[in-house]
Amino acid sequence: FRFKDSLAEDLQRADLVISHAGAGSCLETLEKGKPLIVVINDKLMDNHQLELAKQLHRDGYVLYCNCSTLVETLQSMDLSALKPFPPGQPEKFASFLDKVFGLQ
Amino acid sequence: TGGHTTEILRLLSCLSESYSPRHYVLADSDKMSEAKIRSFEQKRAETYSKSQFTLDRIPRSREVRQSWISSVVTTLYSILYSLPLTYKRKPDLILCNGPGTCVPVCLSAFLLGLLRIKRTIIVYVESICRVETLSLSGKILYYFSDYFIVQWPDLKKKYPKSVYLGRIV
Repeated sequence: FRFKDSLAEDLQRADLVISHAGAGSCLETLEKGKPLIVVINDKLMDNHQLELAKQLHRDGYVLYCNCSTLVETLQSMDLSALKPFPPGQPEKFASFLDKVFGLQ
Repeated sequence: TGGHTTEILRLLSCLSESYSPRHYVLADSDKMSEAKIRSFEQKRAETYSKSQFTLDRIPRSREVRQSWISSVVTTLYSILYSLPLTYKRKPDLILCNGPGTCVPVCLSAFLLGLLRIKRTIIVYVESICRVETLSLSGKILYYFSDYFIVQWPDLKKKYPKSVYLGRIV
């Protein structure tokens, strides 16, 4: 398929996700608790999009490779080594703002 | 736009009704955000019946990878366009997270503050995608915001005046 409104359904049913390094894709996948391999396209990507993928890899949440090493990565991957991705905490932000406005 | 809208709605998710009415400002070219916002506000109204919000559109101040000289011109135009809107709403707080659209709105509020017409607190939250470098909006608004929030420790080190609360979206 080319473009769907939401991949949520497909994500829910997947056992493994292989994706480009777009932030939305990475985070949506990790939040659903699916193992993720991020594929970097060196020619297409501009540096800032790689930042999040690299950091997620450093923290042990995703596997990381480029187009030419994908097959090798799939053959040797150990998905159990991936750490579960903790959700963000917007309540900390709310708390911070409340302090700024003296609402606490 | 897209990712920014999703992030900002998450930021709003835990705010109390003290932060009301909410005035959303979108780029005129943004098609998808309005639906997301209405959906968010609709759910919110289920819990807080007196919940209020408005939606305004302004011309997009900069296209992706637009040359910086023409960006200055289009951004100035956007600031002038935003001034009457910011003056009308006179917000106590402006919350933004990085799309080009937010720069003229914040700068117009900053200007109204300098002119002693309305003092608005500007809170900027850099996108979670920014781990090591700031977006262009971030680089500008670092100097104009009252609170500049980053979501990764590297940025806190590079921009010491920023606030680090960890991942908040």
